Amino acid sequence: MAQQTVRLQERKIGFTAYLRKYWFLYVLAVPGIAFLAVFSYGPMYGLLLAFKDLNMGAGILKSPWAGLDHFKTIFSYPEITRAIMNTLAINALNLLFGFTFVIFLALMLNELRFKKVKSVAQTFVYLPYFLSWIVFSGIIQTFLAPDYGLVNSILAALGKGQIVFLSEAGLYRWILVVANIIKTSGYSTIIYLAAIAGVSPELYESAKVDGANRFHMIRHITLPRIVPTIAVLLILQLAGMFSANFDMVYTTYSPMVFETGDVISTYIYRVGIGKAQYEVGTAMGLVFNGLSFLVIIAANKLIRKMDVMGIF
Amino acid sequence: MKRRLGFNFFDLFVLAFCVVFALICFYPIWYVLVVSITPYEQFLNTPFVLAPPLNPDFTYYTGIFTSNTFLRSMSVSVVVTLVGTSLCLLVTSSVAYAVSKTHIRGMKLLNAVAVFTMFFSGGTIPTFMLYKNLGLLENPLVMVIPGAFNVTYYIIMRNYFSYSVPKELEEAARIDRANDIQVFGRIVLPLSRPMLAAIGLFIAVGYWNDYYTYMVYCQIPKFQPFMWALRRMLTDATFTSSTSSAAQQQLNIPKIPALSLRMATVIVAIFPILIVYPFLQRHFAKGILIGAVKG
Repeated sequence: MAQQTVRLQERKIGFTAYLRKYWFLYVLAVPGIAFLAVFSYGPMYGLLLAFKDLNMGAGILKSPWAGLDHFKTIFSYPEITRAIMNTLAINALNLLFGFTFVIFLALMLNELRFKKVKSVAQTFVYLPYFLSWIVFSGIIQTFLAPDYGLVNSILAALGKGQIVFLSEAGLYRWILVVANIIKTSGYSTIIYLAAIAGVSPELYESAKVDGANRFHMIRHITLPRIVPTIAVLLILQLAGMFSANFDMVYTTYSPMVFETGDVISTYIYRVGIGKAQYEVGTAMGLVFNGLSFLVIIAANKLIRKMDVMGIF
Repeated sequence: MKRRLGFNFFDLFVLAFCVVFALICFYPIWYVLVVSITPYEQFLNTPFVLAPPLNPDFTYYTGIFTSNTFLRSMSVSVVVTLVGTSLCLLVTSSVAYAVSKTHIRGMKLLNAVAVFTMFFSGGTIPTFMLYKNLGLLENPLVMVIPGAFNVTYYIIMRNYFSYSVPKELEEAARIDRANDIQVFGRIVLPLSRPMLAAIGLFIAVGYWNDYYTYMVYCQIPKFQPFMWALRRMLTDATFTSSTSSAAQQQLNIPKIPALSLRMATVIVAIFPILIVYPFLQRHFAKGILIGAVKG
């Protein structure tokens, strides 16, 4: 009731009076709006560049139109197909192993009965997430280095030959997948653990009375409870199908593994910034950002049809 | 009978799995720490690093803290982190509070406009062109300013202001004739201090770890952040570390920076994070950040 009367009063007062009444909240919003407009929406205006031939002196707006030429150029580069395939392959492997591993790890941490061990384990598994990829790639390089590296020392002790891991195109994707699991899966369990924590303990107790063992409880109580969370995270993962983690690849790759490791974001960076092909770089970015956006919309629709909550 | 003991093979498996994975996550950091204080010749004899050496060697750390390049880049990183974090907290939290008042005209639209940027962006090159036009290219301010509005933290803060600050307190203050400024300053902000502290730490870690902005948009050696100094040192050694020693001798490559020096630099780079980590963990474990995914 009270709220309704407030609404009615508000409708009656004019625009300036309304502003005067709530000026403080609008003032609070101003810096945020300014930064949003300039730094988030400003680059979107720059997307025009994909349809123009840039004339540095004239600026983007006055440069002549190029139609769809730059989009045609993109697909005349042989490396772009390779970059797309690599991105999809790396993301598919991450989905297949990384995504499922996170769920498994969350279930295991949840089943861990020793409180002390559990909190120490959580402290350790969350930690790598906070290290930058520069640090983490430095560690990877050290572990996988020939001669003194830990992995090669183990191989040597087993009487196996030395492998120069980060130069082996065939191994590179697997190195990324494993590194990614170690770096991020612990932190990613938090959201599942929070969802599991919301399950009423009575459910487990009554299941126990009915003679259920721990497997039954995981299968029929815990898992169904986190299905909506899994669905939401799956959407986000799918939406990122075309955007492989730049930092992860950029800090670990080298020309020797471009064949299996060069992804869309690193390729755009090399072409757009490295070779200063601004128009083509912009066109590439537009194509793949647009694709990701469509995928996320479609996936969200799909999940809604499945009758669990979507992300919007 | 087994169940009554309360511990069975299932528990054993769970325990083993968690302990092993926790060690896998922690071991790299331990390894780096131990190698950074082990004399290189001694390290070569014992590549399976477990315990710290009996005669720890801290010369590499003194090397870092007496090197002008490192000291300078460290102070750049500290300034960027402090200024960037304050700016981001200020800008993002104030707009998030305004938008949390959804009954005010325009706020729902503003929210949609803000959340949209989470799913679609101009991309690397248009951003590059924009900075160029704004004069932010090759300008150290670029490491601080564009990050002032962060959409992820915006969503978390907005949810926190909407759901975790008790409406009754705000209403009560209004009945006592407090205006919007007083409500915000005396009620909302003090109540949100734990959330702001937690998110501030996350923002700070983001600024500290950022190398991309410098790499793409700044590139003035005088203003290189610590992460970039570390990156340079690591990559100068990359070529040599991915080539075998025999090849190195053949190619006659000059001696790489000692492994221990590189590891010591890594430790310095992660030291601030290790310091704030207990606070970080206390907050994110409480689920403050869960709001991010629920959009």
